[in-house]
Amino acid sequence: MIEIKFFVGQLMPYFTALVFLIGITYKVSKWIKAPQGKITLYPASSTQIEKWKRIAKEVLVFQGLFEGNKPLWFGTWIFHASLALIIIGHFRVVTDFPLIWSALGMGKEDIDTISAVLGGGAGIIILIMGVYLLFRRLTVEKVKEISDGEDYFTLFLILAIIITGDIMRFITHFDLTLSREYFSALFTFQKATLPADQVFLLHYFLGQVLIIYIPFSKFLHIPGVFLSKSIIYQE
Amino acid sequence: MNEKKTTHQAEIEKAVNAVKAIKDGPRALQIYMDICAKCGTCADQCHVARANPVRRTNPAARSDLIRKLYKQQNSNLFSKIRGLLGGNKSITQEDLETWVRDFYECSGCRRCAVFCPMGIDNSIITRKGRALVHALGMSPKMMKETQAISDKFGNDEGQGYEAFLDAIRFLESELEEEHGIPIKIPVDKVGADILFVPASADLISFPETQMGVATFFHATGMSWTMSSEGFDGANFGLFTGDDAHMKRKNKVLHDASLKLKVKKLVIGECGHAYRIAKRIGGTFYWGNDIPYEITNIFILADEELRKGYLKIDPTKNQEPVTYHDPCNFARSTGITEEPRTLLKACVTDFREMTPNRQKNWCCGGGGGLAVMDSKEEVKQNEVTFMDYRMNVGGKMKLEQIKATGAKYVAAPCANCKRQLMHLMDYHKMDVKVGGVFDLFDKAVILKK
Repeated sequence: MIEIKFFVGQLMPYFTALVFLIGITYKVSKWIKAPQGKITLYPASSTQIEKWKRIAKEVLVFQGLFEGNKPLWFGTWIFHASLALIIIGHFRVVTDFPLIWSALGMGKEDIDTISAVLGGGAGIIILIMGVYLLFRRLTVEKVKEISDGEDYFTLFLILAIIITGDIMRFITHFDLTLSREYFSALFTFQKATLPADQVFLLHYFLGQVLIIYIPFSKFLHIPGVFLSKSIIYQE
Repeated sequence: MNEKKTTHQAEIEKAVNAVKAIKDGPRALQIYMDICAKCGTCADQCHVARANPVRRTNPAARSDLIRKLYKQQNSNLFSKIRGLLGGNKSITQEDLETWVRDFYECSGCRRCAVFCPMGIDNSIITRKGRALVHALGMSPKMMKETQAISDKFGNDEGQGYEAFLDAIRFLESELEEEHGIPIKIPVDKVGADILFVPASADLISFPETQMGVATFFHATGMSWTMSSEGFDGANFGLFTGDDAHMKRKNKVLHDASLKLKVKKLVIGECGHAYRIAKRIGGTFYWGNDIPYEITNIFILADEELRKGYLKIDPTKNQEPVTYHDPCNFARSTGITEEPRTLLKACVTDFREMTPNRQKNWCCGGGGGLAVMDSKEEVKQNEVTFMDYRMNVGGKMKLEQIKATGAKYVAAPCANCKRQLMHLMDYHKMDVKVGGVFDLFDKAVILKK
């Protein structure tokens, strides 16, 4: 057990960060360097500002999907929006932000209430939407027929991370001061001991697997969508 | 037997290498190999997948033919793990034979790209697939033959100089008969302002469109000419993925423009020709400093109409008319309003199809399908291309046209016209199919 904790807590994070950063940088720079003829899909944007506004709209509200597939838009937009909230919330797992809270005039209770409502709500909603997306993949024929092991693996991985996260929030009530201590040691390259919480260990491990997996999988749509939209929107 | 096996092995290797080369290929293709989330939206928005919802018509599944081979060829650890998960696939000779069918069942209309949340344009992958089978000499017969004819004659119809002149003289006599005054179609006039280039099918199969264009130039008094060498803007290189052919064919137009010293190269009612002349070839092939501007007849017509001097009597066209947005005009060159302006000026009862413009459904004959009727020597093809076009590819379009109640479909594209004419005949619809300038020719009032 000590060995596992040492691996997941002390070795793996640096490895994860390296693989993620190098992997994404390699992929994106390779894409940017590749030649590209014009394959504009009209109506096009005549200026760069207009184009990036359109891309921002696509990325923020999934405009094309809204017009093309409403049930999926509903499921996946809420899924991604909850994910965004959850990622923002996770900054508090790493450290506290007393300066921001005092600037906003909020006390510890206020923060915890907001976190419980927004974070907890997002945690439940993303679980429901994740299950819906899995259900859709298993039952809608046109999605089922193009799904393979990789698509299910990514969904199960995300669901496992969501479930372990929800367990910590709603059942075991994980103490954030423990993780903050751990991360402050990790970031200063000191001996960092993982909190003694089995669920945290699993959640943290799977989260890192996900991050490592991003540069090698369809999660590349995160940086990729900006470039691919940019190609077809460009006049 | 052994020899046959070796040839197959060589073909497979060639195909595999072409797919492998995507990793250093165009940016879009590289990205498309990586980012598809398999959400199924493209299948919802594809006229083929809608009409015949089986796995092989699903755009993502079609693109996966190449994507899975591409991933299998990336020999890293993750690729091996993906292999265990079923994300990789190698190919056999039989696969290649079905690829011909699969990549020709996609008309490359780009409608899926309008809706794809990842911005993937499956037509780019389709064209890659077609290029790959073309390099193996496996393209459908009609594609190969038309390219060969085009390389020899400079046009898809295989017309020589005399045949071209005959066609022009015929059109001129028809025009005189119709309008009661001589309307000229100048040929090889050096120093004219405009070189006009239609799809050569307009000269033979759809002459009313060409006549309407001649009348337009007559009515506006513009200085124009046609070229006896470059009178075909159609270019099968776009269909087959044969870039070298596409460039050769585009050079015919470039050379003709230089030779006749024109200020403008104006492409006719053919989105496909205009896309290649303006967005793929033209300045991209021959440099930004070419001495002529490339534009389209609809853009000219729109400008002239705005000046207000053209006298048009729309009551000459009283039947309900609808407009079919060809994919290459609406989605690939951004021409949607100009043809409508002209149509609305020329008819009394204009009806929009739903959806329209960039969301319009493909006629089912795009990507070269419209010229293919038989099985075209494509192995593992259960039905003829004709059956496929009439029952699968054209199904959405048929419903759309029916819903308008129109008696005339204006489709400014030789491909769309042929497909839609067949479609109306096949389904016993009393609907005429033609171009936009056909109606202009009837409605315009000329000074005698």
